[in-house]
Amino acid sequence: MKIGTVIGSVTFNALAPQFKGGNWLMVSPMGTEELTGKREFGQASTPVVYDRLGAGVGDKILYVEGAEATQPFPYPTPLDAINVALLDTFQFQPPA
Amino acid sequence: MILARIDGHATSSFCDPSLKGQTIVLCTPVDEKGRSTGAPLAALDPLGAGRHAVVFITTDGSFTQKTTGHDDSPIRNEVIGLVDAS
Repeated sequence: MKIGTVIGSVTFNALAPQFKGGNWLMVSPMGTEELTGKREFGQASTPVVYDRLGAGVGDKILYVEGAEATQPFPYPTPLDAINVALLDTFQFQPPA
Repeated sequence: MILARIDGHATSSFCDPSLKGQTIVLCTPVDEKGRSTGAPLAALDPLGAGRHAVVFITTDGSFTQKTTGHDDSPIRNEVIGLVDAS
């Protein structure tokens, strides 16, 4: 699972039928500098993540990329990134 | 599998059902000398690894589904071993 900050959302006027009832987040992945507070946003590419938990802009989330992202759906789904947790708090202190 | 060092933890009260009641640790992938080799990732930790402990993380989703008991769990990273010496 990767850690990211929600920086926006995406809306579609036409969408695959499997994706009813969820929203799509623009997520900025958090690397070591972002997690330790040296930098707020990194230069990593921004994935679009499917979300059923209702994350808003500025929330820190955990998202899963890969085939496991389709597990929660009972039918085959063309999806490779899903939000699995809204973080309340986190601590990150690598050894100096 | 990923060799990683536990550098922190996270708490989440609003999450996927398979994450309820699980400890979430934030880890940095490392090589055998402890140098960071990639971006940090989060993993489930049923073993209770300590701070800066070096651990093995699996990326196999079907294993995590069995240990969390949810067969629709999308989680794929889980700590499955604590490294004594590398």
